[in-house]
Amino acid sequence: MSDTPSEAPVKSILPKWVRGPQDFVGGIALMAIALFALWASSDLQGMHGFSFGAGTVPRMFAVLLLLLGGVIALIGVLNDGPQIGTYAWRGPLFVMLSIVFFALAIRPLGLVVSAFSCFLIAALGSHETKWLEAIIVGACLTLGCALLFPYVLGLPMPMFPRFLIQ
Amino acid sequence: MDLFANLALGFGVALTPINLLLCLIGALVGTLVGVLPGIGTIATVAMLLPITFGLPPVGALIMLAGIYYGAQYGGSTTSILVNIPGEATSVVTTLDGFQMAKQGRAGPALAIAAIGSFFAGCVATVLIAVLGAPLTKLALAFGPAEYFSLMVLGLIFATVLAKGSILKAIAMIVFGLLLSMVGSDIETGASRMAFNVPELADGLGFATVAMGVFGFAEIIRNLDAGAEMDRDLVQQKITGLMPTKKDLKDSFPAIVRGTILGSILGILPGGGAVIASFAAYTFEKKIAKDPSRFGRGAIEGVAAPESANNAAAQTSFIPLLTLGIPPNAVMALMVGAMTIHGIVPGPQVMQKQPELVWGMIASMWIGNLMLIVINLPLVGIWVRLLRVPYRLMFPSIVIFCAIGIYSINNAPVDVVLAGAFGLLGYWLIKHDFEPAPLLLGMVLGPLMEENLRRALLISRGDWSVFVSRPLSAVLLAIAAGLLVLAILPALRAKRDQVFVESES
Repeated sequence: MSDTPSEAPVKSILPKWVRGPQDFVGGIALMAIALFALWASSDLQGMHGFSFGAGTVPRMFAVLLLLLGGVIALIGVLNDGPQIGTYAWRGPLFVMLSIVFFALAIRPLGLVVSAFSCFLIAALGSHETKWLEAIIVGACLTLGCALLFPYVLGLPMPMFPRFLIQ
Repeated sequence: MDLFANLALGFGVALTPINLLLCLIGALVGTLVGVLPGIGTIATVAMLLPITFGLPPVGALIMLAGIYYGAQYGGSTTSILVNIPGEATSVVTTLDGFQMAKQGRAGPALAIAAIGSFFAGCVATVLIAVLGAPLTKLALAFGPAEYFSLMVLGLIFATVLAKGSILKAIAMIVFGLLLSMVGSDIETGASRMAFNVPELADGLGFATVAMGVFGFAEIIRNLDAGAEMDRDLVQQKITGLMPTKKDLKDSFPAIVRGTILGSILGILPGGGAVIASFAAYTFEKKIAKDPSRFGRGAIEGVAAPESANNAAAQTSFIPLLTLGIPPNAVMALMVGAMTIHGIVPGPQVMQKQPELVWGMIASMWIGNLMLIVINLPLVGIWVRLLRVPYRLMFPSIVIFCAIGIYSINNAPVDVVLAGAFGLLGYWLIKHDFEPAPLLLGMVLGPLMEENLRRALLISRGDWSVFVSRPLSAVLLAIAAGLLVLAILPALRAKRDQVFVESES
């Protein structure tokens, strides 16, 4: 349910009467989250007698968030406020790709492969990256992690690709 | 006197060689992991939690206390050096600390942070020993209604002194409360908003959300164009590692004031340490002869919040040990650790396992001492970290965070969730919403629900129970009073000014 608000920024599409776009869009998004939560908890049992059901408190908080989102959006209409900041695409895209890759790869491919590729994919997120340097540092860091996490900290995790071990 | 007997018992437990060693290892490892940028106190404690599982309960808690202080100090180090606050409490430290680093005074800033923390730690340890027992008696008078009101007070407190709009801070708290509802219902076991995802059945993990909205979001934001300049500046010059006599003289009163403020605020559940560091900074700025120095590298701006947050972090053990309420996310993890060892935090612990409680209190002081012993010599090494260019730093942070989250539950889904919360955090930053209150709401959500439901069940659905029980009514009245004070325009204008100036 956390994914809903990460939608693309709405820029200059907003009508003129919105004087504080940052607050307006923020408030609307919170309302959307609240409505989503209301829908998601609609199958849960409500009050019976004076005893709370599983859905009572989630719905209470959702309604409260709906109200607060509404007030924030209203403030965005009535008061002058800052514009919505510009979003970069490169950083978020590659950092997210790197994270998702790590999540998919850690089980089948093991720590060594996933950490190294994760480093390189994330490095794509900045235009300052120098590749030779990134590969060397990535390799050293992978080695460090491979020693630190499973051995020093004793966290159980696969090291190498599964098909190599079997 | 009881107090000395108790402290003697505590030091007797904590000073055994094996516990001393555990404390030292904890503080050292905590510092080393906490200093990794992007991995703050919460993530560090969460990552290192498993290594304490094999120890006896007292040893495990002593080591955890060491890890906690180490991580806290490590977190301040990254705030000062790379402007990434590992958690909410070190946000204010970045304001002046990072400015000092830019001026080449990273060394003194780090040293003062350690010294201030040590002083605050000493005072707070005594305070816990003195107040622990009486507050436990008070705790016995607490029913569900009082607990609920107390948490409301804590949440309100967190918003009042947060920077920026109060309304938005409250909205973030409610959002956090809502997020905490994901997972199984405590009473009926019904799955709530989990969409049949098995990993969500237990709810969203704090560490997952925290690493997303603080760690990943911060990285993404730093990659934005325009953030580069700040990063490069730091790498130019580094002068003098140790604070001068003048630095010490300037910061000593600030440390004392920060300690007092922190000790008081830490006792309140609900982000005591966060509030304390903000409040100490605001206070220093208000009484300074030349407030304009703040935000431009004033050493008091590092000394006061760092001492306050350490004092508060320490006194925040009081609500944990006496009431069983975790006042912040790290303490919530501590509760988790205690539960794993079969200890249910609350008033009974003090009476049934005194050696555990007092051993931990004594080890806190020792942990603080360890910190200063470990860290003053290491300041030079940390400062050298500044030389690592950000283009190499940020992919490393991504890896550390990813491995860290994965290791908590061995669940790849958690890593993806943290990524999603990273995007959410980026969006929140763009819309000027603060992630700290969100996390606090998440921590207190389940407890609030439980006590609300219990209170209403006992009163047979009568809502007036919250105002008819005197203790609860007083707590709610204070909360309401604070809220009114905060919304009063005059105070609000002043409060905004404090942070607008220091951030621009």
